[in-house]
Amino acid sequence: MDSRGGRSRAEARLIIAGVGGQGVVFATRLLAHTAIALDLPVIASETHGMSQRGGSVVTHLHIGGSQAPLIGRGTADVLLAFDHDEALRNIAFLAPGGTALINTDHSLPQDITALLERRGAQVHTLHASRRAMELGTAAVTNVVVIGFALGHHALPFPLERLRATLSDLSPRGRETNLQALEVGYQAGVATARSTRPHPGAEG
Amino acid sequence: MPTDLLLGNEAIALGLIEQGCRVATAYPGTPSSEILAGFVKFKKRYARPAYAEWSTNEKVAFEIALAASWAGLRSAVAMKQVGLNVAADPFFSAAYTGVRGGFIVIPADDPGPQSSQTEQDSRMLAMSAKVPVFDPSSPAEARAMVAHAYALSERFGMPVMLRPTTRLCHALQSLSVADDLGQDDAPPAARFRKDPLRWTATPKLRYRLHLELNEKLHKVQQFFETSPLNAVFDEAQQARLGVIASGVAAALAQQALRELGVRVPLLKIGTPYPLPHGLVERFMAGKDQVVVLEEPDACIELQIDDRRKVLGRLEGSVPNAGELTPERVFDLLGRVLQQAGVHVNASRFEPEMQRLVDDLGLPPRRPRLCPGCSHRSAFFAMKREFGPKAIYPGDIGCYTLGTNLRAVDTFVDMGAAVTMADGLFKAGRLVGDDRPIVATIGDSTFLHSGIVPLMNAVHTRSRFVLVILDNHTTAMTGFQPTAEADYLANGSQDAHQIPIPDLVRACGVQFIEVTDPYDQESFRRTLRRAHQHTQDPQGGVAVVVADRPCVLYDPEPLREHHIPVIITEECDGCRYCLEAFECPALVLHLDGSRVDLDERICVDCGQCIDACYKGFIVPRMPSQEVTEHG
Repeated sequence: MDSRGGRSRAEARLIIAGVGGQGVVFATRLLAHTAIALDLPVIASETHGMSQRGGSVVTHLHIGGSQAPLIGRGTADVLLAFDHDEALRNIAFLAPGGTALINTDHSLPQDITALLERRGAQVHTLHASRRAMELGTAAVTNVVVIGFALGHHALPFPLERLRATLSDLSPRGRETNLQALEVGYQAGVATARSTRPHPGAEG
Repeated sequence: MPTDLLLGNEAIALGLIEQGCRVATAYPGTPSSEILAGFVKFKKRYARPAYAEWSTNEKVAFEIALAASWAGLRSAVAMKQVGLNVAADPFFSAAYTGVRGGFIVIPADDPGPQSSQTEQDSRMLAMSAKVPVFDPSSPAEARAMVAHAYALSERFGMPVMLRPTTRLCHALQSLSVADDLGQDDAPPAARFRKDPLRWTATPKLRYRLHLELNEKLHKVQQFFETSPLNAVFDEAQQARLGVIASGVAAALAQQALRELGVRVPLLKIGTPYPLPHGLVERFMAGKDQVVVLEEPDACIELQIDDRRKVLGRLEGSVPNAGELTPERVFDLLGRVLQQAGVHVNASRFEPEMQRLVDDLGLPPRRPRLCPGCSHRSAFFAMKREFGPKAIYPGDIGCYTLGTNLRAVDTFVDMGAAVTMADGLFKAGRLVGDDRPIVATIGDSTFLHSGIVPLMNAVHTRSRFVLVILDNHTTAMTGFQPTAEADYLANGSQDAHQIPIPDLVRACGVQFIEVTDPYDQESFRRTLRRAHQHTQDPQGGVAVVVADRPCVLYDPEPLREHHIPVIITEECDGCRYCLEAFECPALVLHLDGSRVDLDERICVDCGQCIDACYKGFIVPRMPSQEVTEHG
C-alpha cells in the first residue's frame, strides 16, 4: 500500500497544522533543526502575515533532499495536528500508510477513520492540551504532540536527538518543554503498545 | 561550514552581505519583510560596514539605494510586489540611466495571492522597464544568485531584478553558513562622480540612453544563453515532451515528475528576462509539446516566438490565476503525459477523503484582530457612533480586518483610505448623498502615502473624518519602525521622531484630536465632534488619532490597564458581541446557549464590557472565582 512515489527511504514529508498561537512554526523549526543535527537536508514552508492573526496555520516540512517547499495532498507521511478541526482540514494530505497524530478530546468522524483505515493510514489521538495544562501551560501542547509522535516511531529521529534540539531552542521554559516531550512520548509508547495499527486510539 | 536553518528572505539577505552589499533599503510588506531584517542580522554577525534602512515608502527606499549605486557602492532595495508599483517611476528611469555599483531590485511576488491585493508579476514590470530578471527556485539558489546579479549589474551597468515568490521567501531551508566572512573592502572608486550626460540626461539624451539600454539587453540575452543558471535536467534523446519551468514552479515540477515516476527533460530557467531564445529553441526542437510552468504570470511563455508546441498560461492548459500548487502541477503534467501515451503513477490523493471533510462544513478560521487590539475598540466605537449607513473607507494593514466588523467598506492600495474618502465626498456632493464618511488608516500607511492625499483633500475643501489608527509600529509585518518611532532598522534609538499630529496640522487640517480608543466614551465624543467639524460651514476634514500601542509590540500599557471581566450567568447567547466585537477570546459555548471567555488568550483589556449592551460582561471583582465554562 505504501508506494513512496519514487522517493528514497531517507525522505519524510510532514504536515504540521494548528491555529495561530499554537506554536506550529516553532514545532516546524524544532523538527527542522533536529533533522539538520542529523545531517539531513530540509526545506519547509512557513505561514506569515494575514494568516497568522488567529487563523488556520499549516506548514509543510520536507526532510531529505527535495527543493520543493510544498507537499501535495495524499503524499504526507506524517500529519501533526494541534487542533481537532485543523486535523480534519488537513487529513487529505496523508499518504496511504501515513500516520496522523492529533491533539483532540473527541474522536474523528467514523466515515473518515474508516477511509483512512482502508488506505492503511494510522490515526493516534491524544488530549495533548490537557496533558500540557497539567504541566501548567497549554503553550507546550505542540511539544506533547511531537513527543507522542516519537513514542509512535512516526518521526525519523530518536527521542534523545529531539530532546537536545528542544533544549537548545527553548532557553525559557526549557524544563516544561522537556517534561512535555516526555509526557507525550510516554503516552505514545503506551498507546503504541496497547493498540495494533488501528485508527482512533485515545492515549 | 556549520549548517543553519534560514528563511528564503534571510538567504537573500545573507547573499547580499556575502557579496558586499553596502546599502540595503526596504519598506515592509509580506512576503518580503524579513529580507531587510536578515540583512541587519548578518551585517551585525559579520561586522560589515553596511547601512540598512526601513524607508518611508518604496519609492524612497528605491532612490536611496539607487543613489548608493550611483556613488559606486553595491546596493539593494526590497519590497513586496505592489511596492514596486510605488517605486515604478524611478525603476523605469534607472533602467535608462544605468548604475555604477551593482544594484539589485528585489520585489517579492505573491501568487495566490496570500496577502496582497493582486497577483501581479514583477517580471512583467521588468520586461516593460527593460531590466534583466533572476528567478530563484529555492532559498539556496536565491542566495547564490545574488553574486550573479551583482556581477551582471556591474558588467553591463544596469539595475537587475532578483524576483522571489511567497513560497520561496517563507521557505525554511538548511544552508551552510560561515562563521566568518573574512576581509571585505569597499571599492576605492566608491564616490559619487558627476556625469551630466547620464545622471541629468534630458529627453534628447534619454533617447540615446534608450538605444544604449536596448544594446545592453541584447548583450545580456547573449550572456544568458550560456549562463549556468539555465540548465537542462534529465536530457533524453527523442523525448517528445519537455517542461520549461522557473522559480518555485521548477522545484514543484521536479517533485511532480518524481512522483509520476517518469523522466522528462526539464529546462530550468533562472533568467527569464531577457529569455535565452537560442537555448529555449534548441530545447524545444524535436519535441511535440512543451509545458511552461512559471508564476504568477506568463513572462517566459510570452517571449517564446513560436508557441505552437507550448502548453501554458496564455495557451490555457495552466490556470491563469492562483498559485501553482503541487496538486495542480502533478495533475497537469500527469494529464499531458497520459495523453502522450506515457504510463505514469496514479495520484495518491483520495478525492473521497476531501469530500468527506468538505461535507463536515468546518467553519473557516478567518484571521481576526488580536485580543486587546486597539483597532477593534476604535472600529466598535465608530460603528456605534455612525451606524451601518456611514461609509468607511479603509486601508492596508492589520486593520483591513475591520471589514469583519463592517467598519471597512473599501480598500485599494496604500494611502487610498484618504483619497477614497475624498473622492466619495466629491462624488456624493454632486448627487446629494450626505452620508458621513469615516476613513481609517494606520500610522505606517499614513506616513507611507497618506500625507499627500490629505493635503489634496484639505486644499480642495473636502469633508470627512479621518481616523489615524496609531499603534506606534508597523504591526502587520513584524514591528518595523515608522517615521514616528524612536528606533531605526539597526535597533538603535537614534531616530528623529516625527509626530503625526504635527504632520496633520501642517497639511492644513483644522480639527485634530488625539484620543485613546480604549476610553470608548471619550473616543465616541471625539468622533462626534470630528463629525460636527465636517458639517460646520467653517469646517472641513477632521482627523482623529486613535492612540494606543499594539498589544503585541508594547504590552506594557496593557498591564497598567488591567480590567479582567466575567460573563454573567444571565448571558443568553445572543451573539451580538461575537459579531459586532469579534474578539477571539469570546467564544460561543458548544451548545450555543451562551458566550464563554477563553481565559487562555484573554488579555484583560476589559474592552468587551461595552460590547454587551445587555450588561452581561462585567468587571471581575478581585474576590470572584473564575468560573469555567469551556
